[in-house]
Amino acid sequence: MNRFIKRGLLFTLVFFCIDKLFIPVRNAAPGLEVDRRLEWIVTGKMDADLVILGSSRGARCLIAEQITQSTGTPSMNFSYPGSNVEFHEFLLRQITENKGNTVPKTVVLVVDDSDELTPSVSLKFRLDRLYPLVKYRAIRDEMVKRGEKIPVVNELLILHQINKSNLWLHQKKFTKNDVIMPCGSMPIPHQKNTFDKQFGSKDHTYQRGSELSEKLEAFKQIVARCRDHKIQLIVVIPPNFKEVTHGFRDRLVELVGDAGSVWMYDESRPEYRDREFFFDHAHLRTSGAKIFTEEFIQHFKTTKVGN
Amino acid sequence: MLFNSIDFALFFPIVFILYWFVANKNLSAQNLLLLVASFVFYGWWDTRFLLLLMFSTLLGYFTAIWIHDARSRRWKVFWFWISIVANVGFLGVFKYFNFFAESFQSMLQAFGIKSDLWTLEIILPIGISFYTFHGLSYVIDVYKGQIKPERKVVEYGVFVSFFPLLVAGPIERATHLLPQIQRRREFSYSSAVDGMRQILWGLFKKVVVADGAAEYANLIFNNSDDYSGTTLLMGAVFFSFQIYCDFSGYSDIALGTARLFGIELIRNFAFPYFSRDIAEFWRRWHISLSSWFRDYLYIPLGGSKGGAWMRVRNTFAIFIVSGFWHGANWTFIVWGALNAIYFLPLLLTKRNRVNLETVAQGRHLPSIRELYAMVSTFGLVMLGWIFFRANDLGHALAYVRGIFTRDLFSSPQLPASSTVTLCFMFFMLVVEWFGRERKHALENFGVRQPAFMRWAFYGFLTACVIVFSGKEQEFIYFQF
Repeated sequence: MNRFIKRGLLFTLVFFCIDKLFIPVRNAAPGLEVDRRLEWIVTGKMDADLVILGSSRGARCLIAEQITQSTGTPSMNFSYPGSNVEFHEFLLRQITENKGNTVPKTVVLVVDDSDELTPSVSLKFRLDRLYPLVKYRAIRDEMVKRGEKIPVVNELLILHQINKSNLWLHQKKFTKNDVIMPCGSMPIPHQKNTFDKQFGSKDHTYQRGSELSEKLEAFKQIVARCRDHKIQLIVVIPPNFKEVTHGFRDRLVELVGDAGSVWMYDESRPEYRDREFFFDHAHLRTSGAKIFTEEFIQHFKTTKVGN
Repeated sequence: MLFNSIDFALFFPIVFILYWFVANKNLSAQNLLLLVASFVFYGWWDTRFLLLLMFSTLLGYFTAIWIHDARSRRWKVFWFWISIVANVGFLGVFKYFNFFAESFQSMLQAFGIKSDLWTLEIILPIGISFYTFHGLSYVIDVYKGQIKPERKVVEYGVFVSFFPLLVAGPIERATHLLPQIQRRREFSYSSAVDGMRQILWGLFKKVVVADGAAEYANLIFNNSDDYSGTTLLMGAVFFSFQIYCDFSGYSDIALGTARLFGIELIRNFAFPYFSRDIAEFWRRWHISLSSWFRDYLYIPLGGSKGGAWMRVRNTFAIFIVSGFWHGANWTFIVWGALNAIYFLPLLLTKRNRVNLETVAQGRHLPSIRELYAMVSTFGLVMLGWIFFRANDLGHALAYVRGIFTRDLFSSPQLPASSTVTLCFMFFMLVVEWFGRERKHALENFGVRQPAFMRWAFYGFLTACVIVFSGKEQEFIYFQF
């Protein structure tokens, strides 16, 4: 028995020492990323007065650079394709809590009609964006908070902090659909091959009963955080190549209350029914994004804090 | 409590130290400790489950004694059926009631009859199928006079609820496990070290391979309409590895854990994906369940002794019941029936016991013929797993149709990260191939190699488990 225990302890000790050799692997990961936006937030280097949060709709449909040029308000797009509202809440929390970041005057939350608060297979908390940054304490804490990592083990072992993706020590590249501008926006110039180009009509009713409590809570947290930090919140419904769900818009108005505003595109504009301006049913292509961004700018100018 | 959780990582050493350092002088104390530990382990999920487990334990304990002590055959039969009906009744209520109610409702609707049958809002207690089958086999063996009933309730309690096997087997037999519980256990260094190896390999299979493959299997099965034939085929391959590594990984951890307490459990897997025909596959897959059905269903029904019709009937019966045991869904029943169809030609041509020895015994590599037999058997098994994994029959059929489309020969649309999982799947297969003549893949692993090489290999496996562990993923077979 003694031999068994001694050997076990010796193995544990050796393993613990070898584990520390992975510190350089963990620390090298952020430098290999092509998208450094989250790292700016985590390290307190975010410096913009207007911040756009959202999923691919936020990334593709609003061009932050155009907003900056037109309004003079420094703008950054922190939208991540495939991300959900819990991820957006995490980003806003990091922006406002990490020292060094400029607390934005305006947060533009681009929502998904109508998956924002309901179950969705395509929207998730983008853990894959967190893994390259596990060298930072805030990221490790978030991993533990979300149950992705075991608290004690996460403190003791470097190997538990990293992920299989950290082991690929090569410079990451973007795909054809994910070209990122310096302002963080990711417009797409072309159209999707499988886009069937039929304008979709839909049922305008919205099923509140199918909302997920965690998504709803995250949305409320965003609203509350903006109110607490005196940030102007604009919840934006971008155009899809189909009709908007009116019940969803009404629900957002109810949730935002007087802590912000809900703004949606002008349904009567012919461009939003013209397939040439769309990448697919859910996203504008670059030409459409420019029109939509311009429309947003006009709205923003009228509501801008200080006006 | 999951084997792959921090809770178990703390629970296990505490029980181990108490078992060998505090209770080691007294067998009764050791057994009582195992029983309490098992109840803590099970109650960790939901304390309400404990009542069911205790009731099931006491039911088996008392009915077995009453069967043995009955003064007349009539009473013996009476207590026997009480036990059988109560045990099967439990399963029926918790696992199958809603299935029968909904199926009956669908049938009535098909005849144009409107019905509003009620279903039960109940959760399925984890491991109920496993410990119910434990109890059933014990009572049947006592009834047949093959064993005498255990008079000590603690020892019988350990037999039913011994925590390594409680929630996902292997389904033990009283003739094998009870004698080990009744006699004093001595610590064996070599057995404990080998148990640790088996635990490590089981964790690797579960955390690294099964959970990794699950990510892509789920992605493809949940969006099967969007993928090409090749991608769907890869989805089926991922699921085949997921279910094997998940379940055999659990069994390895269970067997290894039991060995650290001086108890040898029956083997549950014997490298089934190296089988050369379906009959061999079923001798190597979930052995404890297959042998349970063989001994308590197939043989009592007449086994292979009767004519062709009886053999066909019995084969279908055992496979369909086996499928139904897995869950209350038509997909499992079709999965069972499909395997019966695979198996029947071998049985009827008396070729079901051709491949009894390990493939390529004594050789490093298989012959071309053996390789072909293994790949084709894996293909058949994989086709069955599609039904096992699908949400419903429509989904399964659409999935199979989707595979055989013209883009079957296009390159699969898989995320780049899946390459890592594919590499680990291949690594697992290689290690299991070279360990296939042993009880488990790492038994006596590297004994001829220097210690530092063995340690480096263990270190590699441990590192992989630590990198890939995190969010606790339940074992697939817990739901059964």
